[in-house]
Amino acid sequence: SVYGVLLFLCLLDVYKISGHFGPPGKPKLTSCRSPEKETFTCWWEPGSDGGLPTTYALYYRKENSDAVYECPDYHTAGENSCFFNKNDTSIWVNYNITVVATNALGSNFSDPVDVDVVYIVQPHTPENVTVTVMEDKDGPFLRVSWEPPRKADTRSGWITLIYELRVKLEGEEEWEEHRAGQQKMFNIFSLRSGGMYLVQVRCKPDHGFWSEWSSTTYIKVPDYFPRETSVWILIAVFSAFIFFILTWILNLKSNSVKHCLLPPVPGPKIKGFDKQLLKNGRSEEVFSALVVPGFPPTTSSDCEDLLVEYLEVYTPEEQELILEEGKDLQEGCLKSKGSPSDSDSGRGSCDSHTLLMEKCGEGEGKEEKHQERAQKGKRQQKHQTGWEEGDVSHTREDVLSPDMSEGRVKTWPSVFSPLPQYSSRPLDHQGSLETARQLCLSDSLFPPPSTSSHLSYNAKEGLAASGLQLPGFRSTEYVEVQRVNQEDMVILQPLFSSSCQRDGHLQIGQGEDYSKVKGVDSGNMLLLQREVEVKREEEDGDRYSCDIQDRVTESCYTTSTAASSQVTGKPTSCAGTAMPVQEEMVLAANGYVDAATIRQQEMCQVRVETKTHSNKG
Amino acid sequence: LPSSFLCVTVSAVWVGLVCLLFYSRLVRVGAAPICTNGQAGCHILSLADLFDRVIQHSARMHGISSDLHSEFEQYFFPSKNHIGRVNRICHTSTILTPNGKENAQRLAREELTEVILKLLVAWRDPLWHFQQSIAHHHDFNNFSSNKALEMSDMVHELRKGVEKVAEKMQMLGIISNSVNSLTSPEALIPSDRAEWRLMKDYVLLYCFRRDSNKVQNYLKILKCRIIPQHEC
Repeated sequence: SVYGVLLFLCLLDVYKISGHFGPPGKPKLTSCRSPEKETFTCWWEPGSDGGLPTTYALYYRKENSDAVYECPDYHTAGENSCFFNKNDTSIWVNYNITVVATNALGSNFSDPVDVDVVYIVQPHTPENVTVTVMEDKDGPFLRVSWEPPRKADTRSGWITLIYELRVKLEGEEEWEEHRAGQQKMFNIFSLRSGGMYLVQVRCKPDHGFWSEWSSTTYIKVPDYFPRETSVWILIAVFSAFIFFILTWILNLKSNSVKHCLLPPVPGPKIKGFDKQLLKNGRSEEVFSALVVPGFPPTTSSDCEDLLVEYLEVYTPEEQELILEEGKDLQEGCLKSKGSPSDSDSGRGSCDSHTLLMEKCGEGEGKEEKHQERAQKGKRQQKHQTGWEEGDVSHTREDVLSPDMSEGRVKTWPSVFSPLPQYSSRPLDHQGSLETARQLCLSDSLFPPPSTSSHLSYNAKEGLAASGLQLPGFRSTEYVEVQRVNQEDMVILQPLFSSSCQRDGHLQIGQGEDYSKVKGVDSGNMLLLQREVEVKREEEDGDRYSCDIQDRVTESCYTTSTAASSQVTGKPTSCAGTAMPVQEEMVLAANGYVDAATIRQQEMCQVRVETKTHSNKG
Repeated sequence: LPSSFLCVTVSAVWVGLVCLLFYSRLVRVGAAPICTNGQAGCHILSLADLFDRVIQHSARMHGISSDLHSEFEQYFFPSKNHIGRVNRICHTSTILTPNGKENAQRLAREELTEVILKLLVAWRDPLWHFQQSIAHHHDFNNFSSNKALEMSDMVHELRKGVEKVAEKMQMLGIISNSVNSLTSPEALIPSDRAEWRLMKDYVLLYCFRRDSNKVQNYLKILKCRIIPQHEC
């Protein structure tokens, strides 16, 4: 028997040495959990068993006590677990737990774990999760309700649970999670019409672990029309409506918008101008094309248009040139170009002669102008001298350029106003301008051809054929071009024609003296008429006394041509101190009739000084 | 009409629409002021409101203590085993506190209130000293020292709150008048005054975390026992 035991031990040793058997491996406590803070369970993981049947034992010590206790229940919670029931569980007490694995060859202790039940609470899932579809004025919504897990005693306040639920549409991947706090009910809005929803709930104590998600509850939402969408549709329609209205308005006002954003670039606009013809054809053809029948307009409506845009030119020595664009400027310019003999003749536009000259690219014109200005500068009341030295072409221009149509005279004051000697009467210029405007604006302002003498101008021949001398009652005299008649004649009339009065405001006399052109005689001279309309005299008799400086009611104009200089003037009777006027006037050298001289003499006489001038342009 | 003007108009219209839309969704909740003496126009605090307040307070206190404890544990005691060997004896262990639900429910209301007050009183001085030592200790950042200060203040506030609740309960006849006599610290812990000075900071935090949890739990039990219909 001794030998038998020895043999057995030998065999055992042999097995041991062979490595098949050994002491158990170290077990490991995986987790301890309490579902309701009244009991708890601990689970361990066994190590290697060493090939031999191994037993496990759990021992624990309570806080600050050396007494070691063994697990009371190994079975309730399953394999490798230890269940502590209510009697064995103390809350707020630290448990020091160790698991021991023992087999025939030895035992092994696990690492000890400290557990306080309060911090290891993980409840069961919430129970009785119900989801119902409820109706609201905004649409249907889901009402989810549940109950706490059976074992958790929330009613006594022992455990406080907070809940969380998650929802998703069938087929979606992402859950939508919501915290519900301590309440046991939750509403879900903004549902998709006709969708199938999945709902799950879980809970957690205030210090502890989340429970598992409850089993899925399925709910189907009935079909409905979402109210939110209808509101948005309404807003979209309203906005579209407003947008269309605004677009329509913008469309209507597109021109003004375009004008505002993209102001028209000034450029030459010439009616009837054919570039090709200019290149290919003869100049006469080109310019004949430019002559538009019915131009200058006799009706006041056209006058206004022509008055709108024009260029103001100031002499550079006195002032800057202010240029404005005007249709007629170019026309006049070109017309003047067409006339070989006179650079600035035949303007018939509302532009100042200086501008015309520049537009025409004629430096000579500038010189002329300067010259003229200088000359005019000298002129005080003695226009004669001034006129004498002046350029005939200037005079012509003066006469013609202010008015292709009535009221173009605006340029004149601006042209001449900077001159110092004229500064004394800035108002006059303004007045004449105003008057000119007024003249333009009313049909009645312009006497019918029969009542006034007109200066006819043969446009074709250019101003070379005839010249207008503008007697300057102050410094300048203006003649308006009333129209171009059928025979291509420029019909001029004094700007301050008595018919063109308005509110008795006829300040034409103030500085600007105009006379009507009666006709052109055989010598291509403009026959001026000194005319004072009876009507006007009656109304403003005071204003038209010839001896008043500020008023020139009569002027006799003559124009001088290159060829000859003649002045004929036919002064009409003046109010009051009117004197008979000579039938014939002497053309001043510069082609202007000095009305001032007449005034000085208190005679309605016109003295014209003319001079021959060389061809220009 | 210049296009800029149109743009301004359109955008103004849009803004107006959006504002109109959202204005209708704005909800304003007016809060009635709380009064202590039953003044007119104010909302008198009921016992339920008082309980809610102190419970919230205790929850916050426990949260701070947990944070501080984990910070301590993280920086000073990384190894768990080392903790196990520390002798964690709290100075409040002399106070008999129920360690289970049944035990707690077996206590009378007055006794439960008393336990709560005892705990709160016991922690006033240790926490104050702890906060002082934290403030001078350069190992802690400002965040921790602020928390310690807040914790110390909160114990003080919570004790006053619980005393008010006890007063109210006594006024309502829910509990007897025996509670107030036990509020002096000397009477509660006469011999332990020296002990807590020896406590290390970590142990202090460990003990306080647990005690604050007890306080919170006892208050909840008390509330649900006295006012069961209110969130229980």
